[in-house]
Amino acid sequence: MAEIPEEIREGLSTALHEGDEEAAESFTRRALDDGVDPLELIKEVLVPTLTEVGENFQEFRIFLPELMLSGEAAKRAGGLLEAAIEAQGKVVTTLGKVVIGTVEGDIHDIGQNIVTSLLSANGFEVVNLGRNVKPSAFLETAESENADIVGMSALMTTTLPMQRRTVKLFEEVGVREKYKLLVGGGAVSERWVNEIGADGFAPDAAAAVELCKSLLGV
Amino acid sequence: MRTDWIAEIVDRSETGPYMKESDFDLMIVRTIPGLVKRYGLEFDSEVLVPSDDDMADRLYQAGLDLLATTGVYNQSTERRIMLARDEIEEIVAAAPSRVVLGTGKDAVVMQHRGIESIRRCVVHSAPTGTPCTEENHPLILQSCAREPLVDCLGSGSVATYMGRRIIPRTPTEILGARQAASVARDAVSKAGRPGMHINDVATPITAQGKMAAIDAERGLRPSDAFLVAQMVELKTDYDQLSRVPQMQSVGMHIVDLLTPLIGGMGGGAEGTAVVTVAEHLLGTVCYSPSYHIYGHMGLMSVNNTDRMGLWIYALGGQALTRNTPILMIDAIYCRSGPGTTDLLWEVAAGSVATTVSGLHQGGVGCTGGTDTDVYTGLEARFNAQVCHASLGMSREDANGYVLEFLNRYEDRLPDPDRGKPFPELYDVDLLEPTEEWLDMYERVAGEITKLGLDIDGGWKQALQAQ
Repeated sequence: MAEIPEEIREGLSTALHEGDEEAAESFTRRALDDGVDPLELIKEVLVPTLTEVGENFQEFRIFLPELMLSGEAAKRAGGLLEAAIEAQGKVVTTLGKVVIGTVEGDIHDIGQNIVTSLLSANGFEVVNLGRNVKPSAFLETAESENADIVGMSALMTTTLPMQRRTVKLFEEVGVREKYKLLVGGGAVSERWVNEIGADGFAPDAAAAVELCKSLLGV
Repeated sequence: MRTDWIAEIVDRSETGPYMKESDFDLMIVRTIPGLVKRYGLEFDSEVLVPSDDDMADRLYQAGLDLLATTGVYNQSTERRIMLARDEIEEIVAAAPSRVVLGTGKDAVVMQHRGIESIRRCVVHSAPTGTPCTEENHPLILQSCAREPLVDCLGSGSVATYMGRRIIPRTPTEILGARQAASVARDAVSKAGRPGMHINDVATPITAQGKMAAIDAERGLRPSDAFLVAQMVELKTDYDQLSRVPQMQSVGMHIVDLLTPLIGGMGGGAEGTAVVTVAEHLLGTVCYSPSYHIYGHMGLMSVNNTDRMGLWIYALGGQALTRNTPILMIDAIYCRSGPGTTDLLWEVAAGSVATTVSGLHQGGVGCTGGTDTDVYTGLEARFNAQVCHASLGMSREDANGYVLEFLNRYEDRLPDPDRGKPFPELYDVDLLEPTEEWLDMYERVAGEITKLGLDIDGGWKQALQAQ
């Protein structure tokens, strides 16, 4: 396999930083045409660039639009690379699979969407169930997707009980130990985590990524 | 335009263009930079209270363009409610510019305020967006209602009912809603102001929960209000919309709650200001409110007392004041908590910036609404005194004051002192602030007076002039 040409390395990284989907696609195609290993391109360019974008967002050097558009550009490049990897008969590996959603009754999903973006940028596969997610939907998806982690978000004190209800359901059906159950959102505290028997919480999106990595030992 | 407009909103929700929500978000993100550029909007971190009428008008046009371009996203139908530009303008022009809040001797008239206006602010107060315990909620509300300069009572949310966690969409939500409404009613009665306007009961989160709090004797009345919220950004749903016809039918005030996120889909200060204007217009068109809660906040920091937050208050307020008749109250979300001088400086900065820009006062959200029981009536008193001392002030002078106040707390915004909960700052029997908290208040009030604001005399003049 060919080495990644410097021009492509820089061009793709810049395209991801700037959220330029067309340029991201163009540089990715050029890399593949030049015989660059798609796995190397992911490892050497996509992951470090998106990690940097995530850090910039966490430090508020960039805002949500830049994060979102960078994610869109990454999706475009990632789709091409995944197809190329599969064509080689290989499997695309991720750090782990996370099922995430905002609990039933809560409509505030911007926080979990940001966590989703950062987890994806860091190499996790994320199934985002959106908002107002029933405990049974968390359970069924975790089982059908063979997830490693289930993340439940609740912004308001009044919707916290749904996190407890979800954890309880996992216990009742006897699958609690198969998953790391994480909770998040403005109303969550360490005390609440202990009270409902979850495995942890993170105060912000960057900490959520680190927590997921540490729980899976990656 | 017609009075049964809400049915038309439903029709458009059912027939408007389908769009995945994530695509709608991207549409907003991609539309705003062009509007910021086209209308030449520019944030200046040294001019937090701009005096640029033309830029205020351009911001208004940008907000109008945004709403007319994207429409409103109905999360229930996953469709966009499309609104024509002239349709929006027509409805906004007919919005109320004057409402009577409360009843009898406790009623107040809230009127459209101009920029640099001498017309006094109506002052709402409550633990804005702040969770309270069942034990302290009644005391906190009472501490606000008994403040003479507070005109209207807001609400805090309580997570339990008789010790049990309230679960939304269950009987406990109904019970909790009714209890919270009863606590608010008691608070105004005990303060000797039974007709005082109560602007929400925040414990319930569903339409059914809100409506359960309507009770002429023990809950909310037609002279009171409930909030109808927008979701970030430019979104609504049927649960929120369903509140509108019920409140219209019983003659209650509707309050449009918007919380644009700084650093969120609008991006920086300019884009978030565009979203803020658009969302006031959205609320006017879809909810027919008596007034709006202008409650933008930092995506990460959950406050609006930093440079961007204050600028958005000032320029957005001016844009809407100059171009519409609508009524707005602020929601000063602070990083600090009660029992700290930093909180008072944050309140002072927010209060001056909003008062000269045409807003009324909506209360203080201590610690960004994250800690429990962190609110007292004293910051409501302080908020009222500062705003009344700022009546008629020029925007240039206001900018000087805001920068001076900001200088007192800005360095500590990243790691604020969260203060203390209510029982540690008030004598819970007498409902009076402790000496420690009162000393802090007097110290900051004294410093502000030395800087030239008439904290003691401003409110007296305002009351005499009304």
